[in-house]
Amino acid sequence: MLAAITFLFCIFLGRFFYIQLIWEDELHYRALDQWTREIPVHAGRGRILDRNGVLLAGNVAQYGIFARANAVEDAESSAELLSSLIGQPYEDVLKKLTDRTRSEISIVRRTEKETVEQLAAHEIKGVYYARNDARFYPYGSLAAQVIGFTAFDRSGTTGLERFYNEYLAGESGEILFETDLVGVDLEGAAAAYLPATDGLDLRLTIDSRIQALAEDVMARALEEHSAKAARAIVLDPMDFSVRAMVNLPSYDLNDVPRDDLDTLNALSRNCLVSDIYEPGSTFKIVTAAATINEYLKGNPDAIPPNRIFSSARTRTVDGTTIKCWSDHKNGKHANQTLAEALNNSCNPCFVDIALALGKQCFYDYLSAFRFGRATGLDFSGEAIGMLLPGSTIRDCDLARIGFGQTIAVTPLQLACAAASAINGGNYYAPRLVSEICSADGAVREKLNATLVGHTVSPEASAMLSGMLEGVVRDGSGKKAYIEGYRVAGKTGTAQKYENGAIAQGKYVSSFLGYFPADRPAYLALVIVDEPQGGYYGSTVAAPLAKEIFEGIIKIMDLSPREA
Amino acid sequence: MKASKAHERGDLVFLIAVVLLAAYGVVAVYSASYYNAEVQYGDSAFYFKKQLLGFVLGLAAMLGLSFLDYRKLRNLGLPALILSLVLLALVFVPGLGKSNYGATRWIGFGGFTVQPSEIAKLGFVLFTAGYFAKDPARLRTFRGILPVLGAGIAMCVLIMLEPNMSVTMCVGAIMVGMLFLGGIKKRTLALLLVPALLLVPVLIAMEPYRLQRLSAFVDPWASPQEEGYQLIQSLYALANGGFFGTGLFHSRQKFRFLPFAESDFILAVIAEETGFFGVLVLFCAIGVVVWRGMRIANRCEDLFGYMLSAGITLAFAVQSALNALVVSGCIPPTGLPLPLISAGNTSLIVTMAGMGLVLGVSRHTGGHKKHKIYK
Repeated sequence: MLAAITFLFCIFLGRFFYIQLIWEDELHYRALDQWTREIPVHAGRGRILDRNGVLLAGNVAQYGIFARANAVEDAESSAELLSSLIGQPYEDVLKKLTDRTRSEISIVRRTEKETVEQLAAHEIKGVYYARNDARFYPYGSLAAQVIGFTAFDRSGTTGLERFYNEYLAGESGEILFETDLVGVDLEGAAAAYLPATDGLDLRLTIDSRIQALAEDVMARALEEHSAKAARAIVLDPMDFSVRAMVNLPSYDLNDVPRDDLDTLNALSRNCLVSDIYEPGSTFKIVTAAATINEYLKGNPDAIPPNRIFSSARTRTVDGTTIKCWSDHKNGKHANQTLAEALNNSCNPCFVDIALALGKQCFYDYLSAFRFGRATGLDFSGEAIGMLLPGSTIRDCDLARIGFGQTIAVTPLQLACAAASAINGGNYYAPRLVSEICSADGAVREKLNATLVGHTVSPEASAMLSGMLEGVVRDGSGKKAYIEGYRVAGKTGTAQKYENGAIAQGKYVSSFLGYFPADRPAYLALVIVDEPQGGYYGSTVAAPLAKEIFEGIIKIMDLSPREA
Repeated sequence: MKASKAHERGDLVFLIAVVLLAAYGVVAVYSASYYNAEVQYGDSAFYFKKQLLGFVLGLAAMLGLSFLDYRKLRNLGLPALILSLVLLALVFVPGLGKSNYGATRWIGFGGFTVQPSEIAKLGFVLFTAGYFAKDPARLRTFRGILPVLGAGIAMCVLIMLEPNMSVTMCVGAIMVGMLFLGGIKKRTLALLLVPALLLVPVLIAMEPYRLQRLSAFVDPWASPQEEGYQLIQSLYALANGGFFGTGLFHSRQKFRFLPFAESDFILAVIAEETGFFGVLVLFCAIGVVVWRGMRIANRCEDLFGYMLSAGITLAFAVQSALNALVVSGCIPPTGLPLPLISAGNTSLIVTMAGMGLVLGVSRHTGGHKKHKIYK
């Protein structure tokens, strides 16, 4: 009998041994979770700075107050005190303090430091506070669609706030309080403190001065032309860092219209990246770049730049007639070379070029210029545009693509394609962020320019640039001319489509320009959507680019050079 | 008969071990219960005071009974059995029976509650010992053991109805154990054991909560908030103890995480505060009681004293083991206190009283001869 009892004792003692000495760690780890209640320790969200260190998004110290009904001792007097401190009705506060259905309930999401200091002085049992900073944007609406805004929990909702949230957010810490089963703090128990890791700062490629300047210019244009929208993108064409992105109308990041979702969605959208349009004549830069490059490579199909195009106003392709925007009367658009065709923005010439290159060759260029593909900008929601598949298009489609119709692109895609056509043929991934830094300014990650591919040869690029300089000097881009700064560019006027048909009287006026032509440093694409009255890119958009360039010259203190 | 001085003193080792265990139980109950007592009754010493009272009463009963010549109890078997059965039945009298946690296991007189099943265990031992002592030949025939089986089964049925599975098992084990100690034929024993074992699944199937507990015991994390909760909390306590424990009064699980921390699961708190080492020491002490108890039984010259002390010791050993098996998750959780340690006055007083009877046997055993009555 004793043996049987000894055996029985050995069984459970073995089991105790196993649980207490072998299974111990795993069980202990599980148990830790139930022994403590956490109060989050605020991680400071990283700031967003422009390329010169100007603060674009920062934080204001604020505090959240919350309660644990189970740990509240005198609900009535606590509620009275709290309601007088935070200005909420006594009944509401009392209800929260006695709501035992939830282990934790928020009383105030954000309040000032003084309130919390008064609260701390009273030491109300079961009522806690924790840092809960509010996001602050010193320039309000500046680059609103690029920067984006955050949700109430401080996580990024749109823009760079969202795309780089992982870096900006940091990692919350915790204060662990030892409690009993229902969350009552244990007396004399020490709280464990797990420090928070603050988020990292973003240093943008955006120059807030250029951004402000461009916004100013475009805001005036929006009003002057009673346009639906005015947009601009300024790039460094040598490495595709974005200097400015303007989307107007805009909104104040400190006063986000959260109640009206449709308005919010429309205003917070970075249309330069997420929306597509039919570019029209600015796209001729791409067609010209392709033919020049093919000609220099010795492709016999490519029309030589100095060959005279037919002066006829129309071309008939696949039985459809394509007309020039000009009537070609009185010697207009007669006997043009490629340079003159660009100056005049003559559509038939570009039909000839596209057809001469052929579908295969021309599509290879479209692909190299990354149409129908994302540019790779560090931003969420980039559109890839609309490019008919090469296998299905007819010649009449190819002909129209030659002068920027039957293709839809994002403004960013067009700006980048043009930049690579005139910078010697290098296509980089465009960038908005150049560095990720810790709060002390130490660089944690450097986001260098990455070369994605080559489009044209340096020679072809130089030749094209010379022609585009001519467009501003002698052609349709005259209104962007600045003496001594060698501005080059191309105008565009596109008709808008609505429900598959041309919308009468609705145009997109644009101008894509850069300077100086021989060593491009600033490239701008200016778009005015549905201007009232005059609508030609040459009269509506070109002067805006000029204003922006003049502003840049002033800001950067650039001196003129001889042509 | 002339008893030597040593025998008049009785088995001191047994006495000291029992008193130490019960005293340690008072301390352990305080440690396990003070927080919960403060929250529930506003008095952190609520359970402590009750347990202390039980200890004093239990000690008095133990010492008092140890002076009694146990042989005088030979004829008390039947009245003890009847009293036990009546008390067990009273549980079902409305107004008297007290329910708690879905089971009716107590009877109350005013503010005082008694758990009859605790008394019944002792009553059964008394009856069985007395019955066989009257005519040892009864152990040889099946007919002879029938009244014992009848009494045991009657008790089991009543306890079963409360319901209280673990105490039922305990009584069943005592019954079989005592028959074995008495020396019934092995064939008869097998004849009893096999149907009893077959009955277990039937009993489990009868009450759905038993099946739930059974599955929770296999994987407590399948239902961490329901059936598995108790076992999980017990395991957490054990694991938190490690080898040397968190120190007396430093259990973390007693802060209302572990249900019945002061009663059925007090061993978990002890394991947490004193570690595996403390559990080992505790069961060494329990082992000493069992060893000395069996030694007293074996040294007793008459069958009654032998059966009485062996039965009581067996009940103590079986119950201690069952409780440890529950707390460590070897068998499904059931409501069974750790004798001498767990909070609960009926259990404490009756157990100590029983120990007093065993001590009395040692005190009134004459010679050095070993028990050799049967076979």
